[in-house]
Amino acid sequence: MSISKISPELFHKLVGLAALELTAAEGAYLLTEMNHQLSSVNALLQVPLEDDIQPTLHGIECQGAGPRVDAWQPFPTPSEILAGAPETEDGMFAVPDVKGAK
Amino acid sequence: MSLNQLSALEVAARVRAGELSAREALETSLAQIHAVDGQQGSLEQKPLDPSEEHKVHAFIRLTEDLARQQAYEVDRKISAGEDPGMLAGVPVSIKDIFTLQGIETTAASRILYNFKPPYTATPVQKMIDAGALILGKANLDEFTFGSSSESSAFKPSPNNPWDPSRVPGGSSGGSTASVAAEEVALSLGTDTGGSIRQPAAFCGVVGLKPTYGRVSRYGLMAFSSSLDCPGPIARNVSDAALMLQVIAGTDPKDSTSSVVPISNYLEALKDGVKGLRVGLSPDYTHLFYPDFETGELAMESIQKEISQAVQHAASVLADLGAEIVENVPLPNAKYGIPTYFVVSRVEAASNLHRFDGVKYGYRTPVEVEDLQDLIRRTRAEGFGSEAKLRILMGMYLSSEGYAANYYQRALKVRAMIRRDFERAFDPHGEHRLDVVLTPTTATTSFKRNDVFGNTVRMQYSDQMTVSANHAGLPAVSIPGGLDADNLPIGIQFIGPDFREDLILRAGYAYEQATQGEAWRAVRPAVLRQEVAK
Amino acid sequence: MKDYEVVIGLETHIQLNTQTKIFCSCKADSWEATPNTNICPVCSGMPGVLPVLNREAVHKGALLAAAMHAEINPVSHFDRKNYFYPDLPKGYQITQFDEPIGKGGYLDLHMPDGVTRRVRIHKLHLEEDAGKTKLDHGMRLVDFNRCGVPLVEMVTEPDLRSAEEAAQYLTQLRQLLRWIGVSEADMERGHLRCDANVSIRERGSQVLNTKTEIKNVNSIDAVRQAIIEETKRQIELVESGGKVVSYTLDWDADTGKLSMMRSKETEADYRYFREPDLLPVILTEEEIAHVKAELPELPPERKARFEADYELSAYDAEILTSERGLSDYFEEAVKSLGGEAKAVSNWMMNDLSRLMNDLGKTASELALIPNSLAQIIRMVEDGKINAATGKSLLRKVEESGREPAQIVEAEGLAVIADSGALREQIQAVLDSATAEVESFRAGKESLLGWFVGQVMRATGGKADPKRTREILLELLKNHS
Repeated sequence: MSISKISPELFHKLVGLAALELTAAEGAYLLTEMNHQLSSVNALLQVPLEDDIQPTLHGIECQGAGPRVDAWQPFPTPSEILAGAPETEDGMFAVPDVKGAK
Repeated sequence: MSLNQLSALEVAARVRAGELSAREALETSLAQIHAVDGQQGSLEQKPLDPSEEHKVHAFIRLTEDLARQQAYEVDRKISAGEDPGMLAGVPVSIKDIFTLQGIETTAASRILYNFKPPYTATPVQKMIDAGALILGKANLDEFTFGSSSESSAFKPSPNNPWDPSRVPGGSSGGSTASVAAEEVALSLGTDTGGSIRQPAAFCGVVGLKPTYGRVSRYGLMAFSSSLDCPGPIARNVSDAALMLQVIAGTDPKDSTSSVVPISNYLEALKDGVKGLRVGLSPDYTHLFYPDFETGELAMESIQKEISQAVQHAASVLADLGAEIVENVPLPNAKYGIPTYFVVSRVEAASNLHRFDGVKYGYRTPVEVEDLQDLIRRTRAEGFGSEAKLRILMGMYLSSEGYAANYYQRALKVRAMIRRDFERAFDPHGEHRLDVVLTPTTATTSFKRNDVFGNTVRMQYSDQMTVSANHAGLPAVSIPGGLDADNLPIGIQFIGPDFREDLILRAGYAYEQATQGEAWRAVRPAVLRQEVAK
Repeated sequence: MKDYEVVIGLETHIQLNTQTKIFCSCKADSWEATPNTNICPVCSGMPGVLPVLNREAVHKGALLAAAMHAEINPVSHFDRKNYFYPDLPKGYQITQFDEPIGKGGYLDLHMPDGVTRRVRIHKLHLEEDAGKTKLDHGMRLVDFNRCGVPLVEMVTEPDLRSAEEAAQYLTQLRQLLRWIGVSEADMERGHLRCDANVSIRERGSQVLNTKTEIKNVNSIDAVRQAIIEETKRQIELVESGGKVVSYTLDWDADTGKLSMMRSKETEADYRYFREPDLLPVILTEEEIAHVKAELPELPPERKARFEADYELSAYDAEILTSERGLSDYFEEAVKSLGGEAKAVSNWMMNDLSRLMNDLGKTASELALIPNSLAQIIRMVEDGKINAATGKSLLRKVEESGREPAQIVEAEGLAVIADSGALREQIQAVLDSATAEVESFRAGKESLLGWFVGQVMRATGGKADPKRTREILLELLKNHS
């Protein structure tokens, strides 16, 4: 039985999608581990699924309180949120611009 | 018995009765921390002084000022005749994955090294409101990714108090170590695939994963949202029950938190195990480890002393009147880790998207050309390897293009794991179990650096625990003996939805009936050192 | 040149007018607020936070689905759409991907030329809004005030066949949203946003060709213009042998020009999966029935009914059903007036409409309630007051809030009905205009108008003109 493996090209693409940057050594290590993990994941493809089985999201049937009432409750200290930002300007979160934006 | 050996129940009782001040409880805890803990974890990679090798290093940060304020408040309430709460004066540690307003909450990651949350997590707030004293933020695997606590960016990572050359387990390793080393009486941890129970087993303490939704996740920095469960860590079952009583309950800020009413867990302990149907399963006697080339799952034996401990526990319970039901099939247990690889990584990758250097935490100091550059460098520098690995796996496994719909399949296998338990617990079924009894782990604690780096082997430490997470069920690990190296063995009880009372009852009965066993007289190495001093 | 037809699909984002955001209790409307003051840990994407669904967002979403003739799904789910952008603090948007709240649906466009175009709805779902960013000296600045506001995204099938139809769709949609009260739908304030997908093909072809997407069209006019420009561009391109490439285009309202933003070739992989922090959205049969029952008579139905039942012209019916408050007002007034729709229609479309414009008020904001309007019209028709008085009463009632009859009484505005009193006044006028009386009697009958005018002056405009003429003639002709 052959298992799917991630090629270096695909790995490179995933690194871009994940907004990461890796050294060659780190990349090699992570790719190896990913493919090892895939050998475990592969077992899922072999499991004989029962006919009526439906995917479950939480295992149990969650009994929550349901959606909330539409009533305004302001957060007491929004300034505390802004205060944690690495850089702000005029009360806004400041970042360099997106590449290729107009 | 010195004060820091007291159970949480005992401390709270004495404080509430005015026999012990919260301040005194605090001082005792601090003294113990200073005696055994050594350096707190930090980002600076300084070489470690040899004297630190035998210390516990359970904490990333001590919160002494906070604890003093809290102790003051408890003592004030006592003198004013006000109710100080069920955990009055009890020293606790909080896994540094829970937000605590105004105090750095790092997730053991560089990317949050300076993050001061503007709000406190619900279960933490409940403990504070109940009068607990927060001594500090316990160290952990980065973002809870791991089973040894070694992936923390804050070094040194915690050691196992039973043998400091070994790991405490993970990801709640700092939590279990701080409790085992008698630095605190209780700790708040999280369990996603076994992160409370496995380190509890390794450290010889009690670790409970409640039913999913039993305890609010608000303020728990998410790893895998459909699996994460906050839970108590304690030195005995009654303390775990006490803490669960405080933190359990519905929360309007968590849509998945349950409205099912809370039981009285302490009361339930006394009900004993007469007639309790305890199941043993042949599917929990081996590991099923993949061959990296072929993907075939091969059986591996688990440590002999651990199987023996489980058998012994069964016979102790039988002597107390429980009905032991053998050969209960839970055949999909072997797919627990493969399923976990898919579900948890997909959710983790998404949950970690928000760490981009824009709003909080670490931002790369390097000059960047544009925003994409900023985000990439920040994440590259801020995340450790294990975090990057989980993100990449998650991206791959959830991508439409090439992932053979692993995610949907995994959710179905998850449902099958759940169904196994439903059949076992079905009151009209063949086995009609009240609880299932299994080993918590396949081995006792391993040496530092022995497994770290082999991510598959590391993940498989959770094979016995992860199924309860998939099924959403409550499960508890309690000390079940020591192996030949004096390393703790954990046994696990798994129960039906919201029946924490049943598993605590079973655990309590076993615990009380084995009080006289020789292994209970042995103390962790770190505490024996102290006595020798 | 070949005969081309343009194929248009519209994607709209509708901001719901709930009190609070969709997943947290911050305000939904923070138009003028200082940046980053209407935020909380949840909508600013802090670690450890969780979304909690706003039940009113579900309610309004369901109501809109019903109004669009869509099926309301009793069970719908939220999903995560994962991507990086500074206005998206969690790095994913919570939206509904494969099991949304509404399924199917349509809007019938009534074009001025008589054509009815049925525009089918492809998707109708709930989602959260992103924050706002602006460029400042090369830095992108981010404001999360708007982040998390509840949106309904509605995507049409490519059923529209002209820029005019697209404009009509938006006009009708905007009217509908305000009509059922789910959105203020003010495009200038971003309550209603639109992206247009445009492609061309030879008339008669059934093929769907490569389309471009036009973004940043902030008014109905802009949508119309942009589509016209893009259609022209595509035709010119194809005619000269080129191929339409799937680009995203940005519309500059100031210059009236389209510019390429980015190629859509590389579609982002959003890796949709069920949002594990939220439970399924359940609407019981009862709740769905309740929503459907709550749906008022919609504009097209009401317009048709006004034409049939009140015998109004299509034009009048259109005006009177353009806004729900106005049409409710009309019906109330007609009821009060015992069914005289034409009279009410005349008054509303002329003098009342002028008053409303002057004061900048909608019909439901008027102090002059429908019953008062009916009273005024009745008084004029009964001859109790004359038309000019009636018109001035509109403003008087509006400004004072008093009953029309009360004002007439207090200010003595009633037409002088008592013949005796009137006769006396007229006699007095004749007595002081003996020269003119002589002239009239001598044959200058055109002076009658002048006499009427004098009587009007003397009575402060309260004399009934017809009665005045009768009595004048009587008195002028009878002389001894």
